[in-house]
Amino acid sequence: MNSPALPRFAVLQLSGCAGCEVSLLNAQEWVERFDLVYMPLVITAYDVPEVDVLLISGGVRSDDDLYNLRRAVQSAKKVVAVGTCALSGGVANLGNRDDVRALFMSQSERRHLPRLLPKSQPVDSFVNVDLFLPGCPPTPELFMAALLNPPDFTVSKVVCQECGRKKLRDMRPVHLLGFQTGELDPEICLINQGYLCVGSSTRGGCRALCTRPGHPCVGCRGPSDILIDKDSFAWLESIQRVFESLADIPGEELHEALVSPQLALFLFQFSDYSAPGKAPRPKEKIL
Amino acid sequence: MPTLTFPLSRIEGHASVEIEVREGRVLSTRFKANEARGFNYFIQGVPAEQISVIVPRICGVCSTAHHVAAVKALEDAYGIIPTPLGRRIRSLLLLGQMLQNQSTSLFIFTMPDRLGVDSLFHVTEEEATKETQFNIARRALQIRQLGTNLITLAGGQFIHPVKAVVGGVSSGILPEAAEAMRQKLEHMLPMACELFDFYWQMSIKMKERIGTWGDDAPAYYITSTGEECPDYDSNEIRVLAPEGVCCQIFSPRHFREHLTFEETDYSFAGRTSYQGQVMRANSLARANMTRRMGTPRADEYLQFVFETFGHPAHPILLFDLCRGVELVYTIERAIEMLSQPLHNEDPSLPYTPRDGEGYGLVEAPRGPLIHHYVIEGGKIASGEFIIPTVHNMLAIERALRVAAERYITNDSVNLELEKAVGRVVRAFDPCIACATH
Repeated sequence: MNSPALPRFAVLQLSGCAGCEVSLLNAQEWVERFDLVYMPLVITAYDVPEVDVLLISGGVRSDDDLYNLRRAVQSAKKVVAVGTCALSGGVANLGNRDDVRALFMSQSERRHLPRLLPKSQPVDSFVNVDLFLPGCPPTPELFMAALLNPPDFTVSKVVCQECGRKKLRDMRPVHLLGFQTGELDPEICLINQGYLCVGSSTRGGCRALCTRPGHPCVGCRGPSDILIDKDSFAWLESIQRVFESLADIPGEELHEALVSPQLALFLFQFSDYSAPGKAPRPKEKIL
Repeated sequence: MPTLTFPLSRIEGHASVEIEVREGRVLSTRFKANEARGFNYFIQGVPAEQISVIVPRICGVCSTAHHVAAVKALEDAYGIIPTPLGRRIRSLLLLGQMLQNQSTSLFIFTMPDRLGVDSLFHVTEEEATKETQFNIARRALQIRQLGTNLITLAGGQFIHPVKAVVGGVSSGILPEAAEAMRQKLEHMLPMACELFDFYWQMSIKMKERIGTWGDDAPAYYITSTGEECPDYDSNEIRVLAPEGVCCQIFSPRHFREHLTFEETDYSFAGRTSYQGQVMRANSLARANMTRRMGTPRADEYLQFVFETFGHPAHPILLFDLCRGVELVYTIERAIEMLSQPLHNEDPSLPYTPRDGEGYGLVEAPRGPLIHHYVIEGGKIASGEFIIPTVHNMLAIERALRVAAERYITNDSVNLELEKAVGRVVRAFDPCIACATH
């Protein structure tokens, strides 16, 4: 597995949960095909050596993260940002709300520890990224595709294609249910059953692991290709159109649920758009 | 002499150890957790029903434990008792978590210490152990993937599960899927035992080389697992005194009466003590506080641990061996559970959300985990996470001091110290993402 001829890759973990790393460990095929030279979770090594591919997970939360990020990319031919935190701040982006931030920052000052930056930021706020791999976390198949870069690899346009639940025109809820209420039909679209599912606007490739057992999609893979270069308004509209065709939920109720900054949904889908004036990421760079 | 700093690897998260020395005397040993994200702040205002999807993201290694603890806390607040099927499937989920974690800790984090290498994956050319490493790596990844598969089957998503809901789970497990998983586990059980046997032999060799299984003093132990045999979904926490007598039993609601929390200026993690004393959580605590495992092969291993080291046992490298016992147990127990029907019953039950306060407890791989939420207007008004790694902080620092005193003398520092620091810390398998959240 480790002959010098094999391509070398490294994994730099910034502030995150290590879920991306755990997913990578499930993609066992790299063991035979790559030389993993740096990944503190599983290797004792102190610096990122020269590598063909550098995977970066986690958000830039502290001055330590920023220093490690800037140093590591110097040794890499190709830089891949993996997971929602590295792309958009992820769940930790909730902490960017001003009221929460003020409280958190005021109570997290420590004399002998890394300084926290004012906000958690995505990796491409600071360095050039060659490929974005969204997902919380991305599946092992997506990791392998990011490493091997097969020319014919594509992902489903939206989660619905992989979910396969039937969309009905004549089963129309009039209000949103919470995330966890009510009896579930295993075959029918979650929107028909009153759930705030955004699989219809979310990039596929996840195998619909959440929606198939009955949990609405929270959009962790980010916007689908058609929406990636549009603003969040277009995106909201697209979700609303899907709801109009499958449900009779009042527009205001839906809108309020979609834009609430406290909703899990918001973190995954819209945190990408939290930096106004920033050019959207080119779709050919997103796996 | 300056302060010695050791960056840590093969653990979850960003941490380092600092040892302050003057004239050959160890002044302090500090475990530094170097990251923070602020989960307890930013969950404020989140709709209560969504919390069980958000909090698994505290940690991708312990996500399942957070998922279930959050749901149990909501159930406590709403006054709901989950359905029997819901509880069985959640137990499977927690078994999957334990299986994944213990195999990772054993074979990926700590096996390299026994082989004298930096990792299972990257091999420098001059090393002669290449083929051995390669073989172990492949089998280790297969065994830990079993845990992931079990989590996916019982929990939906493979890292951050979604299926535990208030009242139970969102769906049962169909017979074909259960049977396929059962067969996979049956197939892998002998391989897991074999790899653990090898680990044990290599541990004995390592002990012969370094001369000890760990000579730190006995400590208090804390766990929420079953007294008779393991139960990772119980509702009470127990404390064992160093001499082996259970000295305290309390519900998660009363944790503040028994545990004292303290912040430090050198770590984002803080630390806990039990009535001013050092305590230990994780695998050795569970082994010391469980009569038997309740499955045949795991019981043989556990008996062997007790016969060899006594009961309760205190040397810290036993944390690692006890993880192996649990690895075998989780596979055997999951096989048993998958042999019973897991569908055609109510997976969950209707409920009415209400405001209030709730506590949820699970035995995570690292020990008892508590989630506590206050719900107002259907939203989380405040929340706190009581993390088992934090209970181990004083124990880790004390064990590090013992190691430091062993290898630091008036005129030199034995280079073995760096390895010893790694061994000590990894025995406790700390999780920094959880500890700092």
